[in-house]
Amino acid sequence: MFRTPTVLYLRRAALSLAQLALPFVVVAILWEGFALLGPFPPRLFPRIGKIVSAFVRLIVTGILPLHAAETLLRLAAGFFLGAVVGVTVGMLMGRYRWAEDLLVPVVSVGNPIPGLAYAPLFVLWFGLGNLPAVLLVGFSATFPVVVNTWTGVKAVKDIWIRAAETMGATDRQLFRKVVLPGALPYVLTGLRLGLARAWRVLIAVEMLTSVSIGLGWLIFGAREFLNTDVMLAGIAVIGLVGLALEKFVFEHIEQYTVVRWGMLER
Amino acid sequence: MTRFVLGTVASFGLAAVVWEAFARSGLFSPALSPSLAVILPALAQMIVSGTIFVHIAYTLYRILWGLGLAALLGVPVGILMGRFKAVERFVLPLVSVLSPIPSLAWVPLFILWFGLGDAASIALVLYAATFPIVLNTWTGVRSVNRIWIRSAETLGAGARDLFQKVVLPGSLPFVIAGLRQAFARSWIAVVGGEMIAATSWGLGWVIFDSKEFLRTDVMLSTLVVIGFLGLGFERLIFQAVERRTVGRWGMVRTVGT
Repeated sequence: MFRTPTVLYLRRAALSLAQLALPFVVVAILWEGFALLGPFPPRLFPRIGKIVSAFVRLIVTGILPLHAAETLLRLAAGFFLGAVVGVTVGMLMGRYRWAEDLLVPVVSVGNPIPGLAYAPLFVLWFGLGNLPAVLLVGFSATFPVVVNTWTGVKAVKDIWIRAAETMGATDRQLFRKVVLPGALPYVLTGLRLGLARAWRVLIAVEMLTSVSIGLGWLIFGAREFLNTDVMLAGIAVIGLVGLALEKFVFEHIEQYTVVRWGMLER
Repeated sequence: MTRFVLGTVASFGLAAVVWEAFARSGLFSPALSPSLAVILPALAQMIVSGTIFVHIAYTLYRILWGLGLAALLGVPVGILMGRFKAVERFVLPLVSVLSPIPSLAWVPLFILWFGLGDAASIALVLYAATFPIVLNTWTGVRSVNRIWIRSAETLGAGARDLFQKVVLPGSLPFVIAGLRQAFARSWIAVVGGEMIAATSWGLGWVIFDSKEFLRTDVMLSTLVVIGFLGLGFERLIFQAVERRTVGRWGMVRTVGT
Protein backbone atom coordinates (compact mmCIF):
# COMPACT_ATOMS: atom_id res chain seq x y z
CA MET A 1 0.00 0.00 0.00
CA PHE A 2 1.66 3.19 -1.08
CA ARG A 3 0.78 6.51 0.48
CA THR A 4 -0.83 8.94 -1.86
CA PRO A 5 -0.63 12.64 -0.97
CA THR A 6 -4.33 12.56 -0.16
CA VAL A 7 -3.83 9.96 2.53
CA LEU A 8 -0.98 11.94 4.02
CA TYR A 9 -3.05 15.08 3.88
CA LEU A 10 -6.01 13.39 5.54
CA ARG A 11 -3.81 11.99 8.24
CA ARG A 12 -2.30 15.38 8.94
CA ALA A 13 -5.75 16.97 9.00
CA ALA A 14 -7.00 14.35 11.43
CA LEU A 15 -3.99 14.91 13.65
CA SER A 16 -4.41 18.69 13.78
CA LEU A 17 -8.13 18.26 14.38
CA ALA A 18 -7.36 15.99 17.32
CA GLN A 19 -4.92 18.57 18.62
CA LEU A 20 -7.54 21.26 18.34
CA ALA A 21 -10.14 19.13 20.08
CA LEU A 22 -7.93 18.04 22.96
CA PRO A 23 -8.15 21.19 25.11
CA PHE A 24 -11.92 21.28 24.75
CA VAL A 25 -12.20 17.62 25.72
CA VAL A 26 -10.06 18.23 28.82
CA VAL A 27 -12.13 21.26 29.82
CA ALA A 28 -15.33 19.31 29.23
CA ILE A 29 -14.11 16.51 31.50
CA LEU A 30 -13.16 19.03 34.21
CA TRP A 31 -16.54 20.73 33.84
CA GLU A 32 -18.40 17.43 34.17
CA GLY A 33 -16.34 16.44 37.18
CA PHE A 34 -17.03 19.76 38.85
CA ALA A 35 -20.73 19.57 38.02
CA LEU A 36 -20.95 16.11 39.57
CA LEU A 37 -18.69 16.55 42.60
CA GLY A 38 -18.48 20.30 43.10
CA PRO A 39 -20.31 22.37 45.70
CA PHE A 40 -22.95 23.77 43.35
CA PRO A 41 -26.35 22.15 42.96
CA PRO A 42 -27.01 20.95 39.39
CA ARG A 43 -29.49 23.79 38.90
CA LEU A 44 -26.67 26.32 39.20
CA PHE A 45 -23.95 24.33 37.46
CA PRO A 46 -25.58 22.22 34.75
CA ARG A 47 -23.89 19.27 33.08
CA ILE A 48 -22.77 19.60 29.49
CA GLY A 49 -25.53 17.38 28.17
CA LYS A 50 -28.10 19.79 29.55
CA ILE A 51 -26.38 22.81 28.04
CA VAL A 52 -26.13 21.18 24.64
CA SER A 53 -29.75 20.10 24.69
CA ALA A 54 -30.81 23.60 25.73
CA PHE A 55 -28.72 24.97 22.87
CA VAL A 56 -30.30 22.61 20.35
CA ARG A 57 -33.79 23.24 21.70
CA LEU A 58 -33.37 27.01 21.49
CA ILE A 59 -32.02 26.80 17.95
CA VAL A 60 -34.71 24.45 16.70
CA THR A 61 -37.55 26.45 18.16
CA GLY A 62 -36.04 29.55 16.56
CA ILE A 63 -35.74 31.44 19.84
CA LEU A 64 -31.98 31.83 19.74
CA PRO A 65 -31.79 32.96 16.09
CA LEU A 66 -34.55 35.49 16.77
CA HIS A 67 -32.68 37.01 19.72
CA ALA A 68 -29.39 36.95 17.83
CA ALA A 69 -30.92 38.68 14.79
CA GLU A 70 -32.40 41.44 16.94
CA THR A 71 -29.09 41.98 18.70
CA LEU A 72 -27.18 42.09 15.41
CA LEU A 73 -29.62 44.62 13.99
CA ARG A 74 -29.08 46.85 17.00
CA LEU A 75 -25.33 46.39 16.71
CA ALA A 76 -25.39 47.34 13.02
CA ALA A 77 -27.44 50.48 13.64
CA GLY A 78 -25.34 51.62 16.58
CA PHE A 79 -22.03 50.81 14.96
CA PHE A 80 -22.97 52.61 11.74
CA LEU A 81 -23.81 55.71 13.75
CA GLY A 82 -20.53 55.54 15.67
CA ALA A 83 -18.48 54.89 12.53
CA VAL A 84 -19.91 57.83 10.59
CA VAL A 85 -19.52 60.29 13.46
CA GLY A 86 -16.14 58.90 14.47
CA VAL A 87 -14.52 58.99 11.03
CA THR A 88 -15.84 62.51 10.38
CA VAL A 89 -14.61 63.89 13.68
CA GLY A 90 -11.29 62.06 13.41
CA MET A 91 -10.70 63.44 9.90
CA LEU A 92 -11.46 66.97 11.09
CA MET A 93 -9.04 66.55 13.98
CA GLY A 94 -6.33 65.25 11.66
CA ARG A 95 -6.78 67.97 9.06
CA TYR A 96 -7.40 71.10 11.14
CA ARG A 97 -5.25 72.20 13.98
CA TRP A 98 -8.07 74.06 15.76
CA ALA A 99 -10.27 70.97 15.78
CA GLU A 100 -7.40 68.96 17.22
CA ASP A 101 -6.69 71.51 19.96
CA LEU A 102 -10.34 71.67 20.93
CA LEU A 103 -11.21 68.02 20.81
CA VAL A 104 -8.17 66.09 22.04
CA PRO A 105 -8.69 66.86 25.77
CA VAL A 106 -12.40 66.04 25.63
CA VAL A 107 -11.73 62.82 23.75
CA SER A 108 -8.98 61.74 26.14
CA VAL A 109 -11.24 62.16 29.15
CA GLY A 110 -14.25 60.67 27.39
CA ASN A 111 -12.42 57.66 26.00
CA PRO A 112 -11.69 55.84 29.29
CA ILE A 113 -15.26 56.25 30.59
CA PRO A 114 -16.95 52.88 30.02
CA GLY A 115 -19.92 53.40 27.70
CA LEU A 116 -21.99 51.38 30.10
CA ALA A 117 -21.61 54.04 32.78
CA TYR A 118 -23.86 56.27 30.70
CA ALA A 119 -26.56 53.62 30.49
CA PRO A 120 -28.67 54.85 33.43
CA LEU A 121 -28.46 58.42 32.12
CA PHE A 122 -29.48 57.34 28.63
CA VAL A 123 -32.39 55.42 30.08
CA LEU A 124 -33.59 58.55 31.86
CA TRP A 125 -33.19 60.61 28.70
CA PHE A 126 -34.49 58.27 26.05
CA GLY A 127 -36.64 55.83 27.97
CA LEU A 128 -36.29 52.07 27.91
CA GLY A 129 -35.97 49.97 24.79
CA ASN A 130 -34.17 50.26 21.50
CA LEU A 131 -33.36 53.95 21.27
CA PRO A 132 -31.04 54.25 24.29
CA ALA A 133 -29.39 50.92 23.45
CA VAL A 134 -28.56 51.93 19.88
CA LEU A 135 -27.45 55.43 20.86
CA LEU A 136 -25.23 54.10 23.62
CA VAL A 137 -23.64 51.53 21.32
CA GLY A 138 -22.95 54.26 18.78
CA PHE A 139 -21.57 56.56 21.43
CA SER A 140 -19.15 53.94 22.80
CA ALA A 141 -18.01 52.90 19.33
CA THR A 142 -17.21 56.50 18.38
CA PHE A 143 -14.17 56.99 20.60
CA PRO A 144 -11.78 54.34 19.25
CA VAL A 145 -12.79 55.32 15.72
CA VAL A 146 -12.03 58.99 16.39
CA VAL A 147 -8.67 58.32 18.02
CA ASN A 148 -7.48 55.96 15.31
CA THR A 149 -8.73 58.03 12.38
CA TRP A 150 -7.02 61.08 13.83
CA THR A 151 -3.75 59.16 14.26
CA GLY A 152 -4.11 57.77 10.75
CA VAL A 153 -4.54 61.14 9.09
CA LYS A 154 -1.53 62.45 10.97
CA ALA A 155 0.51 59.41 9.97
CA VAL A 156 0.06 60.02 6.24
CA LYS A 157 3.57 60.60 4.93
CA ASP A 158 4.42 64.23 4.25
CA ILE A 159 6.24 63.19 1.11
CA TRP A 160 3.08 61.76 -0.40
CA ILE A 161 1.21 64.97 0.27
CA ARG A 162 3.99 67.14 -1.09
CA ALA A 163 4.39 64.96 -4.13
CA ALA A 164 0.68 65.17 -4.86
CA GLU A 165 0.72 68.93 -4.37
CA THR A 166 3.70 69.32 -6.67
CA MET A 167 1.86 67.41 -9.32
CA GLY A 168 -1.00 69.85 -8.97
CA ALA A 169 -3.57 67.97 -6.90
CA THR A 170 -6.47 70.08 -5.72
CA ASP A 171 -7.54 69.99 -2.09
CA ARG A 172 -10.30 67.62 -2.89
CA GLN A 173 -8.11 65.26 -4.88
CA LEU A 174 -5.48 65.39 -2.17
CA PHE A 175 -8.05 64.28 0.35
CA ARG A 176 -9.68 61.58 -1.73
CA LYS A 177 -6.62 60.11 -3.38
CA VAL A 178 -3.90 60.54 -0.76
CA VAL A 179 -5.15 61.27 2.75
CA LEU A 180 -8.10 58.89 2.76
CA PRO A 181 -6.31 55.80 1.42
CA GLY A 182 -3.20 56.67 3.43
CA ALA A 183 -5.14 56.79 6.67
CA LEU A 184 -7.22 53.72 5.89
CA PRO A 185 -5.16 51.08 7.77
CA TYR A 186 -5.61 53.11 10.94
CA VAL A 187 -9.26 53.82 10.23
CA LEU A 188 -9.88 50.11 9.79
CA THR A 189 -8.13 49.36 13.08
CA GLY A 190 -10.32 51.98 14.71
CA LEU A 191 -13.47 50.49 13.22
CA ARG A 192 -12.41 47.07 14.39
CA LEU A 193 -11.82 48.28 17.95
CA GLY A 194 -15.06 50.24 17.78
CA LEU A 195 -17.00 47.18 16.72
CA ALA A 196 -15.48 45.10 19.50
CA ARG A 197 -16.40 47.75 22.02
CA ALA A 198 -19.88 48.15 20.59
CA TRP A 199 -20.43 44.43 20.87
CA ARG A 200 -19.33 44.34 24.51
CA VAL A 201 -21.46 47.31 25.48
CA LEU A 202 -24.49 46.09 23.61
CA ILE A 203 -24.71 42.80 25.49
CA ALA A 204 -24.55 44.59 28.82
CA VAL A 205 -26.88 47.38 27.82
CA GLU A 206 -29.54 44.92 26.77
CA MET A 207 -29.56 43.74 30.35
CA LEU A 208 -30.09 47.27 31.66
CA THR A 209 -32.55 48.87 29.23
CA SER A 210 -34.87 45.88 29.18
CA VAL A 211 -35.29 45.55 25.45
CA SER A 212 -37.80 42.79 24.86
CA ILE A 213 -35.64 40.61 22.59
CA GLY A 214 -31.87 40.26 22.48
CA LEU A 215 -29.05 37.96 23.54
CA GLY A 216 -28.12 40.04 26.58
CA TRP A 217 -31.70 40.08 27.67
CA LEU A 218 -32.04 36.35 27.09
CA ILE A 219 -29.22 35.67 29.55
CA PHE A 220 -30.41 38.18 32.07
CA GLY A 221 -34.01 37.00 31.91
CA ALA A 222 -32.96 33.36 32.30
CA ARG A 223 -31.43 34.21 35.67
CA GLU A 224 -34.87 34.84 37.15
CA PHE A 225 -35.79 31.24 36.47
CA LEU A 226 -32.37 29.81 37.35
CA ASN A 227 -32.09 28.53 33.78
CA THR A 228 -28.32 28.26 33.85
CA ASP A 229 -28.36 25.96 30.82
CA VAL A 230 -30.07 28.66 28.75
CA MET A 231 -27.64 31.25 30.07
CA LEU A 232 -24.61 29.19 29.07
CA ALA A 233 -26.11 28.44 25.65
CA GLY A 234 -26.63 32.19 25.20
CA ILE A 235 -23.08 32.94 26.27
CA ALA A 236 -21.81 30.38 23.73
CA VAL A 237 -23.74 32.09 20.94
CA ILE A 238 -22.41 35.48 22.02
CA GLY A 239 -18.87 34.13 21.84
CA LEU A 240 -19.45 32.60 18.41
CA VAL A 241 -20.93 35.80 16.99
CA GLY A 242 -18.04 37.83 18.42
CA LEU A 243 -15.53 35.44 16.90
CA ALA A 244 -17.29 35.55 13.53
CA LEU A 245 -17.40 39.36 13.49
CA GLU A 246 -13.69 39.51 14.15
CA LYS A 247 -12.61 36.72 11.78
CA PHE A 248 -14.87 37.09 8.80
CA VAL A 249 -15.88 40.72 8.59
CA PHE A 250 -12.71 42.65 9.22
CA GLU A 251 -10.06 40.31 7.89
CA HIS A 252 -11.87 40.37 4.55
CA ILE A 253 -12.16 44.14 4.42
CA GLU A 254 -8.45 44.42 5.18
CA GLN A 255 -7.63 41.83 2.57
CA TYR A 256 -9.50 43.70 -0.13
CA THR A 257 -8.16 47.15 0.65
CA VAL A 258 -4.95 47.85 2.50
CA VAL A 259 -3.33 44.45 2.06
CA ARG A 260 -4.03 44.51 -1.67
CA TRP A 261 -2.51 47.94 -1.95
CA GLY A 262 0.60 46.60 -0.24
CA MET A 263 0.29 48.84 2.81
CA LEU A 264 -0.02 46.08 5.34
CA GLU A 265 1.55 42.65 5.45
CA ARG A 266 -0.57 39.66 6.14
CA MET B 1 3.26 73.50 26.18
CA THR B 2 1.34 76.77 26.50
CA ARG B 3 -0.52 75.77 23.38
CA PHE B 4 -1.45 72.51 25.07
CA VAL B 5 -2.67 74.28 28.22
CA LEU B 6 -4.65 76.84 26.24
CA GLY B 7 -6.12 74.09 24.09
CA THR B 8 -7.14 72.09 27.15
CA VAL B 9 -8.76 75.10 28.79
CA ALA B 10 -10.57 76.04 25.58
CA SER B 11 -11.61 72.43 25.11
CA PHE B 12 -13.21 71.99 28.52
CA GLY B 13 -14.62 75.52 28.33
CA LEU B 14 -16.30 74.68 25.06
CA ALA B 15 -17.59 71.37 26.43
CA ALA B 16 -19.03 73.27 29.42
CA VAL B 17 -20.72 75.85 27.18
CA VAL B 18 -22.21 73.15 24.95
CA TRP B 19 -23.48 71.26 27.98
CA GLU B 20 -24.89 74.42 29.54
CA ALA B 21 -26.72 75.33 26.32
CA PHE B 22 -28.09 71.78 26.13
CA ALA B 23 -29.14 71.83 29.78
CA ARG B 24 -30.94 75.18 29.52
CA SER B 25 -32.45 74.54 26.11
CA GLY B 26 -35.39 72.79 27.74
CA LEU B 27 -34.96 69.75 25.50
CA PHE B 28 -35.09 67.64 28.63
CA SER B 29 -36.44 68.79 31.96
CA PRO B 30 -33.83 70.28 34.33
CA ALA B 31 -34.14 67.19 36.54
CA LEU B 32 -32.82 65.08 33.68
CA SER B 33 -30.16 67.42 32.35
CA PRO B 34 -29.02 69.59 35.25
CA SER B 35 -26.95 72.70 34.60
CA LEU B 36 -23.38 73.01 35.80
CA ALA B 37 -24.63 75.18 38.66
CA VAL B 38 -26.23 72.01 40.04
CA ILE B 39 -23.59 69.46 39.02
CA LEU B 40 -20.57 71.21 40.47
CA PRO B 41 -22.05 71.64 43.99
CA ALA B 42 -23.08 67.97 43.92
CA LEU B 43 -19.52 67.00 43.05
CA ALA B 44 -18.14 69.32 45.71
CA GLN B 45 -20.52 67.88 48.26
CA MET B 46 -19.48 64.32 47.42
CA ILE B 47 -15.84 65.31 47.82
CA VAL B 48 -16.34 67.22 51.08
CA SER B 49 -18.42 64.50 52.70
CA GLY B 50 -15.88 61.96 51.45
CA THR B 51 -18.42 59.55 49.98
CA ILE B 52 -16.84 59.71 46.56
CA PHE B 53 -13.55 58.47 48.03
CA VAL B 54 -15.27 55.49 49.59
CA HIS B 55 -16.80 54.62 46.23
CA ILE B 56 -13.43 55.03 44.55
CA ALA B 57 -11.76 52.86 47.19
CA TYR B 58 -14.28 50.05 46.73
CA THR B 59 -13.95 50.14 42.97
CA LEU B 60 -10.16 50.18 43.12
CA TYR B 61 -10.17 47.34 45.64
CA ARG B 62 -12.16 45.17 43.23
CA ILE B 63 -10.18 46.14 40.19
CA LEU B 64 -6.80 45.65 41.85
CA TRP B 65 -7.70 42.22 43.16
CA GLY B 66 -9.02 41.14 39.78
CA LEU B 67 -6.17 42.64 37.84
CA GLY B 68 -3.57 41.25 40.25
CA LEU B 69 -4.98 37.74 40.01
CA ALA B 70 -5.20 38.08 36.23
CA ALA B 71 -1.53 39.10 36.05
CA LEU B 72 -0.49 36.24 38.33
CA LEU B 73 -2.37 33.84 36.09
CA GLY B 74 -1.89 35.43 32.69
CA VAL B 75 1.81 36.25 32.62
CA PRO B 76 3.03 32.71 33.50
CA VAL B 77 0.56 31.14 31.09
CA GLY B 78 1.63 33.52 28.33
CA ILE B 79 5.30 32.80 28.98
CA LEU B 80 4.73 29.04 28.99
CA MET B 81 2.81 29.38 25.73
CA GLY B 82 5.68 31.27 24.18
CA ARG B 83 8.31 28.81 25.38
CA PHE B 84 6.60 25.47 24.90
CA LYS B 85 4.76 24.60 21.73
CA ALA B 86 2.62 22.01 23.54
CA VAL B 87 1.25 24.59 25.97
CA GLU B 88 0.52 26.95 23.11
CA ARG B 89 -1.37 24.27 21.21
CA PHE B 90 -3.41 23.49 24.29
CA VAL B 91 -4.21 26.99 25.53
CA LEU B 92 -4.61 28.97 22.32
CA PRO B 93 -7.86 27.35 21.12
CA LEU B 94 -9.42 27.91 24.55
CA VAL B 95 -8.33 31.53 24.65
CA SER B 96 -9.55 32.27 21.15
CA VAL B 97 -12.98 30.88 21.97
CA LEU B 98 -13.33 32.50 25.39
CA SER B 99 -11.83 35.91 24.75
CA PRO B 100 -14.49 37.23 22.31
CA ILE B 101 -17.20 36.63 24.94
CA PRO B 102 -17.84 40.02 26.56
CA SER B 103 -17.11 39.71 30.26
CA LEU B 104 -20.42 41.30 31.13
CA ALA B 105 -22.29 38.43 29.53
CA TRP B 106 -21.13 36.39 32.51
CA VAL B 107 -22.58 38.77 35.11
CA PRO B 108 -25.92 37.01 35.62
CA LEU B 109 -24.21 33.64 35.92
CA PHE B 110 -21.51 34.98 38.25
CA ILE B 111 -24.21 36.45 40.48
CA LEU B 112 -25.76 33.02 40.78
CA TRP B 113 -22.40 31.39 41.45
CA PHE B 114 -20.75 33.93 43.72
CA GLY B 115 -23.68 35.88 45.08
CA LEU B 116 -24.02 39.66 44.99
CA GLY B 117 -21.06 41.69 46.12
CA ASP B 118 -17.30 41.78 45.82
CA ALA B 119 -16.64 38.22 44.67
CA ALA B 120 -18.76 38.53 41.53
CA SER B 121 -17.15 41.84 40.55
CA ILE B 122 -13.64 40.52 41.16
CA ALA B 123 -14.35 37.37 39.15
CA LEU B 124 -15.63 39.58 36.37
CA VAL B 125 -12.49 41.72 36.34
CA LEU B 126 -10.39 38.57 36.39
CA TYR B 127 -12.23 37.26 33.34
CA ALA B 128 -11.93 40.54 31.49
CA ALA B 129 -8.26 41.09 32.28
CA THR B 130 -6.73 37.64 31.83
CA PHE B 131 -7.01 37.25 28.06
CA PRO B 132 -5.28 40.45 26.96
CA ILE B 133 -2.45 39.67 29.37
CA VAL B 134 -2.07 36.10 28.12
CA LEU B 135 -2.18 37.06 24.44
CA ASN B 136 0.24 39.96 24.76
CA THR B 137 2.74 38.06 26.91
CA TRP B 138 2.67 35.20 24.44
CA THR B 139 3.30 37.58 21.53
CA GLY B 140 6.04 39.26 23.54
CA VAL B 141 7.95 36.06 24.25
CA ARG B 142 7.74 35.04 20.62
CA SER B 143 8.92 38.42 19.42
CA VAL B 144 12.15 38.40 21.44
CA ASN B 145 14.89 38.93 18.90
CA ARG B 146 16.44 35.58 17.88
CA ILE B 147 19.86 37.19 17.70
CA TRP B 148 19.72 38.18 21.37
CA ILE B 149 18.93 34.62 22.37
CA ARG B 150 21.66 33.18 20.17
CA SER B 151 24.27 35.61 21.36
CA ALA B 152 23.37 34.98 25.00
CA GLU B 153 23.69 31.27 24.34
CA THR B 154 27.02 31.75 22.63
CA LEU B 155 28.22 33.73 25.61
CA GLY B 156 27.31 30.75 27.75
CA ALA B 157 24.05 31.78 29.40
CA GLY B 158 22.19 28.96 31.13
CA ALA B 159 18.48 28.41 30.62
CA ARG B 160 17.77 30.38 33.76
CA ASP B 161 19.95 33.36 32.83
CA LEU B 162 18.52 33.28 29.34
CA PHE B 163 15.04 33.55 30.74
CA GLN B 164 15.74 36.14 33.41
CA LYS B 165 18.09 38.41 31.50
CA VAL B 166 16.91 38.08 27.91
CA VAL B 167 13.42 36.66 27.46
CA LEU B 168 11.74 38.42 30.35
CA PRO B 169 13.04 41.95 29.70
CA GLY B 170 12.74 41.39 25.96
CA SER B 171 9.05 40.64 26.18
CA LEU B 172 8.31 43.33 28.75
CA PRO B 173 7.03 45.98 26.30
CA PHE B 174 4.33 43.56 25.25
CA VAL B 175 3.55 42.51 28.80
CA ILE B 176 3.06 46.15 29.76
CA ALA B 177 0.90 46.72 26.70
CA GLY B 178 -1.13 43.71 27.80
CA LEU B 179 -1.56 45.06 31.32
CA ARG B 180 -2.65 48.36 29.88
CA GLN B 181 -5.26 46.75 27.68
CA ALA B 182 -6.31 44.59 30.60
CA PHE B 183 -6.82 47.67 32.74
CA ALA B 184 -9.00 49.33 30.10
CA ARG B 185 -11.14 46.21 29.89
CA SER B 186 -11.33 45.77 33.67
CA TRP B 187 -12.40 49.35 34.04
CA ILE B 188 -15.40 48.63 31.83
CA ALA B 189 -16.06 45.31 33.52
CA VAL B 190 -15.93 46.69 37.05
CA VAL B 191 -18.29 49.57 36.37
CA GLY B 192 -20.73 47.29 34.57
CA GLY B 193 -20.40 44.58 37.19
CA GLU B 194 -21.03 47.01 40.01
CA MET B 195 -24.18 48.26 38.34
CA ILE B 196 -25.68 44.81 38.27
CA ALA B 197 -23.95 42.94 41.07
CA ALA B 198 -22.73 45.40 43.71
CA THR B 199 -24.61 46.03 46.89
CA SER B 200 -23.81 49.37 48.44
CA TRP B 201 -20.55 50.96 47.28
CA GLY B 202 -18.60 51.49 44.09
CA LEU B 203 -18.58 54.00 41.25
CA GLY B 204 -20.77 51.86 39.00
CA TRP B 205 -23.21 51.22 41.79
CA VAL B 206 -23.60 54.88 42.69
CA ILE B 207 -24.50 55.77 39.09
CA PHE B 208 -27.04 53.01 38.91
CA ASP B 209 -28.48 53.81 42.32
CA SER B 210 -28.80 57.52 41.53
CA LYS B 211 -31.18 56.65 38.74
CA GLU B 212 -33.76 55.55 41.30
CA PHE B 213 -33.70 58.99 42.88
CA LEU B 214 -33.33 60.92 39.62
CA ARG B 215 -30.06 62.35 40.92
CA THR B 216 -28.64 63.12 37.49
CA ASP B 217 -26.22 65.58 39.11
CA VAL B 218 -24.62 62.75 41.12
CA MET B 219 -24.56 60.52 38.03
CA LEU B 220 -22.77 63.13 35.95
CA SER B 221 -20.30 63.96 38.72
CA THR B 222 -19.44 60.29 39.06
CA LEU B 223 -19.03 59.96 35.30
CA VAL B 224 -16.52 62.79 35.32
CA VAL B 225 -14.65 61.15 38.20
CA ILE B 226 -14.57 57.84 36.32
CA GLY B 227 -13.19 59.54 33.23
CA PHE B 228 -10.41 61.36 35.05
CA LEU B 229 -9.48 58.31 37.13
CA GLY B 230 -9.19 56.16 34.01
CA LEU B 231 -7.11 58.81 32.29
CA GLY B 232 -4.98 59.19 35.42
CA PHE B 233 -4.22 55.48 35.56
CA GLU B 234 -3.31 55.44 31.91
CA ARG B 235 -1.16 58.58 31.97
CA LEU B 236 0.41 58.43 35.42
CA ILE B 237 0.88 54.79 36.24
CA PHE B 238 1.31 52.95 32.97
CA GLN B 239 3.33 55.62 31.25
CA ALA B 240 5.56 55.97 34.31
CA VAL B 241 6.16 52.22 34.43
CA GLU B 242 6.94 52.23 30.75
CA ARG B 243 9.37 55.10 31.07
CA ARG B 244 11.18 53.53 34.02
CA THR B 245 11.64 50.15 32.38
CA VAL B 246 11.43 49.60 28.67
CA GLY B 247 11.75 53.29 27.83
CA ARG B 248 14.93 53.60 29.83
CA TRP B 249 16.39 50.49 28.28
CA GLY B 250 15.81 52.11 24.91
CA MET B 251 13.39 49.47 23.67
CA VAL B 252 10.47 51.74 22.88
CA ARG B 253 10.04 55.43 22.46
CA THR B 254 7.88 56.79 25.25
CA VAL B 255 5.77 59.87 24.97
CA GLY B 256 6.14 62.96 27.07
CA THR B 257 9.66 62.47 28.38
